Amino acid sequence: MATDAAIARVRRLREAPWWPSAATLVIAELGLGAALLVPITFSDPNGVDPYLARLSVTSVLITLPALFVRRLAPARPILLALAAVATTYTLLSAGPQILFDLLGSHSGSFDAQVFWASLAQALGTLLIAAAAWRTVAPEWRPTLRLRRLGWGGLATGLVGSALLIGLGLAIPAGVLGRVALQPVAVGRDFPWLGPANAFQAFAQEVQFRGLLLGALERTMSPRWANVSQAAVFGLAHLAISYGGPEAPFVPITFLVGLGFGWLVRRTGSLWPAVIIHAAADIALQFGVVAGLYGF
Amino acid sequence: MGSDRHRRAIGAAAAACTAVTLLAAGSITVRAAPAWWSPIGLSGTSITGVSAIGGTITVRTGSGMTLESTDAGRTFQPVSGNPALPPTGRVTSGGTVWSIDAGGRILRAATASAGGGEQTSVPDPGSPRLGAGADLIAAPAALSGVVVAVGTDGTVWRRGQDGDWKQALLLLPQSLVQGIPRVTSVTAFTDPLSDAVYLGTDGYAVLISTDGGDDWIRAGPGLPGSVYALSADSARRAVYAGTSDGLWVHVLQTLPAPPAYQDAALVWRWIGIGAVTLVAAALTLFGMLRLMPRRVNEPTP
Repeated sequence: MATDAAIARVRRLREAPWWPSAATLVIAELGLGAALLVPITFSDPNGVDPYLARLSVTSVLITLPALFVRRLAPARPILLALAAVATTYTLLSAGPQILFDLLGSHSGSFDAQVFWASLAQALGTLLIAAAAWRTVAPEWRPTLRLRRLGWGGLATGLVGSALLIGLGLAIPAGVLGRVALQPVAVGRDFPWLGPANAFQAFAQEVQFRGLLLGALERTMSPRWANVSQAAVFGLAHLAISYGGPEAPFVPITFLVGLGFGWLVRRTGSLWPAVIIHAAADIALQFGVVAGLYGF
Repeated sequence: MGSDRHRRAIGAAAAACTAVTLLAAGSITVRAAPAWWSPIGLSGTSITGVSAIGGTITVRTGSGMTLESTDAGRTFQPVSGNPALPPTGRVTSGGTVWSIDAGGRILRAATASAGGGEQTSVPDPGSPRLGAGADLIAAPAALSGVVVAVGTDGTVWRRGQDGDWKQALLLLPQSLVQGIPRVTSVTAFTDPLSDAVYLGTDGYAVLISTDGGDDWIRAGPGLPGSVYALSADSARRAVYAGTSDGLWVHVLQTLPAPPAYQDAALVWRWIGIGAVTLVAAALTLFGMLRLMPRRVNEPTP
């Protein structure tokens, strides 16, 4: 009796408009999580493990069928957003090595290679956003909110950046490793890595608050859509250093994701979040002194 | 029927677990690197000065005692007369004597080729004024011409191999209530053993630069945050750190780097990774197809 009631309840849930998006998000995250974490049992993440590549391959393998199988059409915008996150981050990470392999010494300094890889990440994200625009039906199509900024949005971005950097300085230095500024390195790296960080921030905002939040809020309440994209944003930071020292930052990045999502919805524009995200990334790039083991 | 399905599922799960276990067992265990810093003695004692030369370690404790060890820090004996440690504002490296005068100017002098004498010291062109009383300077012999010096305001300066002086490091406050940590010490090997320059701080432990002061990394894992003195001993290829909790040593070693595998196990790792990727993607697709509503009225894009 209880089983019948539970089955009936699940059937009713499957009819809910948010079900396809939520189910896609949960199943895809589980699949990507398994692809990321299971090989830890037999591999060395620091040595031979191309974990970003396999995340990308997994995301592509689950996204491509969704473009052609009619039954997976509701999953399409979510899967495209996840594919944008995984594949373009791999492009960013592998970009410098790819450039060096292709162009040798003509590929420029490492800073220059990171700049071009970041530009590729931004362009790749826009390409996938364009694919989403073409292949997703209008009622499921994500709202990117890239059209307007305005003085209010600009001011919000600048004030938010100042607040976030202030918060970073208020946090004990050891937590973030923000122990010093390195003027020689800043002067050498900023012309390339400043814009590179801005491109990366732009790409990530388009992925999480544009493609993902924009798709989720088509079928979910704004609050659940925001919580869901923030959860994915937090979990994605687990993959950045693959269970390394950044793992404890997953809850923090979840909260940051919530804040960015709220801001994007409140201002109706992606740009204030892009500005704050870029300022935070640049501050982390130049204010954090790396440790012996990377972070 | 149902039990057949269960049996197949259990069999598949058992096969997957066995495969993962065999892969894990077949993989070579990575040997742990030696500790970056290790405690060697005087635990619980504040050490405010260290001088390590030719295998002899002399330390100054927070209570003002000078102790000496000739057995790599295993035992310490008081030094008769309780003398102060040698000044830190002078270093001889690669045939050049670098020093800081009482007014905070950085001076250089070439050592005479024979007899070990010293030519007249002259201010290094373009060098910064470090402030009266500044006495922290280091010059790694492995990087000719490179000097790192610390001003009384805590600014760390570096001299490039081209003779150009630049600000190299500006420490940031520890928190809202704690200020900027004091730079307490700087050292480098005066024999060409390593490019590294070690900077001790009262709060951020030790920072290292291996490119003459342009880039720094935090290199104090294991050490107390308060490092009061550093000394590099070429004879023992070691750096000694006097801290709020005793004397520590770092034996010269390469910076941690990803291990490179060249063995047969690598092939199995890659096969395993590929298999996990394919299985994860297949199960995800299967799960999505099962959970999607059966009737999808796809709107026209």
